[in-house]
Amino acid sequence: MRVRRAVIALLSLAVIYGIAAEIGRGRLPDRIWMGSHYVENIQLLPTFRSLAEEGSFLIESNILVDSIAVSARRVLFGLVLGSLAGILLGLATGWAARVEYLADPWVTFFRFTPALALLPLYVVWFGYGETSKVLLIATNVAVVTLLGAHQGVRGVPRVYLEAAASLGAKGWLVFRKIVLPLAFPDIFASVRVAAGLAWVTIVVAELIDARMPSLGYLLALAGAYPRVPTMLIGIATVGALVLVFDLLALLLHARATRWMKRAA
Amino acid sequence: MTDVLEAVDVGYTYPGPTPTIALEGLELAVKDNEFLAVLGPVGCGKTTLLRIFAGFLRPTKGSVRCGGAAIDGPGWQRGYVLQEEAIFPWMTVRENIEFGLRAKGISPEERGKVSGELLTLIGLSAFADAYPKELSAGMSKMVEVARVLATDPAILLLDEPFGALDAQTRARMQDALARLWEQRRKTVLFVTHDAEEALYLADRIVVLSHRPGRVQAQFDVDLPRPRSLETRFSAPFLLLKRQIWEAARDA
Repeated sequence: MRVRRAVIALLSLAVIYGIAAEIGRGRLPDRIWMGSHYVENIQLLPTFRSLAEEGSFLIESNILVDSIAVSARRVLFGLVLGSLAGILLGLATGWAARVEYLADPWVTFFRFTPALALLPLYVVWFGYGETSKVLLIATNVAVVTLLGAHQGVRGVPRVYLEAAASLGAKGWLVFRKIVLPLAFPDIFASVRVAAGLAWVTIVVAELIDARMPSLGYLLALAGAYPRVPTMLIGIATVGALVLVFDLLALLLHARATRWMKRAA
Repeated sequence: MTDVLEAVDVGYTYPGPTPTIALEGLELAVKDNEFLAVLGPVGCGKTTLLRIFAGFLRPTKGSVRCGGAAIDGPGWQRGYVLQEEAIFPWMTVRENIEFGLRAKGISPEERGKVSGELLTLIGLSAFADAYPKELSAGMSKMVEVARVLATDPAILLLDEPFGALDAQTRARMQDALARLWEQRRKTVLFVTHDAEEALYLADRIVVLSHRPGRVQAQFDVDLPRPRSLETRFSAPFLLLKRQIWEAARDA
């Protein structure tokens, strides 16, 4: 049902766009003032035909595929690294807070610190290469997943901990068999959010430090020309990749939470 | 018969801006292998008393002992079934029952044997590998009872286990619990607000007063076991029920 709804929504959006593009063809201005000069032959709303031409060029020249591979690799590395660090830290702080009933003002501090502001700092610290980009994603991801894990542990209902204690369970067993399964949905939700955020981060990071090949570079290049069909294809590609990541995550989630009562 | 659970002059006050005195000067002794029901109105401190025995609360006055030793924190020796639903929904029925054995470091084969026996006893063998979401509320409460029985504790602390069930299911669960108890004699401290339930299950009933809770009256229940539907409508049962109602009314 949800897949069908999503397909219908996407299709109707595509149809509306197609109609708008056909209406706009020949009617929209084909040159725009760029602040210092005119750009000729601009397609403000490229038709499907010109999108298809541009798309097949980007695919045949391997530009798109290479860009996806490079950017996805960065996102994946950053996501795994950041999730591991964030979840482990969040579990630890959540558990400590549970035991000691600490207030958590530092959580607020991190939550609202935009990790993209770290980019210049990371470039200075880690150089222009892969490291700074992957670490930037990892930092972003870590903050979000840390909060998810922290809140997940904090939210474990008292009754389960008491029942476990009454059955003689302590320490590691309680953590592994009671706390982790209960914190999982929160952790998972945070990883999903973090995956989306990772894509935002990488595209922006690659826009600033634009190198070939990458999706951010593709967009930066398209902006320099400017070439609207390339931009639209780049944006749609990032959107599709976020969707694919999310779908994979949902499949994993469904498997890991078979025990839950299904909402009617 | 020796006392296995003892409360001596126990008082408990919940702290706060307006401290609530839940229990005051409460004296109680549960004998070995006795099924004792604590009966009282909602808010009389029954649950507080049970949580003190379970080791989750320390009395603010007096002392509680288990087998002569002061109670210091929770432990499997006093199997505690909470009032709330506390079955672990992310574990199968079998994993739930085996959890206490796991905590004790019992081997998987041995765990399987124990859980198998208990599952047969509560009639849920077919649901061994099902998740609790497939069970009715009454059955999941029985799984919770079986879960504390698995580690073979000397004492069971049951906090209104059937409080949330409809009358028919409740009667069925009472029968199941009675059968279970007749097979595995334990010292049981059973908290309830239902006089009939207390009568049907217990050897002895202690009636608590309104807050702050103290012992108002005691009744020995000399009804023969196993008890059945006939028991519920027998003259001695009804007579006792009347006496308990009167004692509770005066509380």
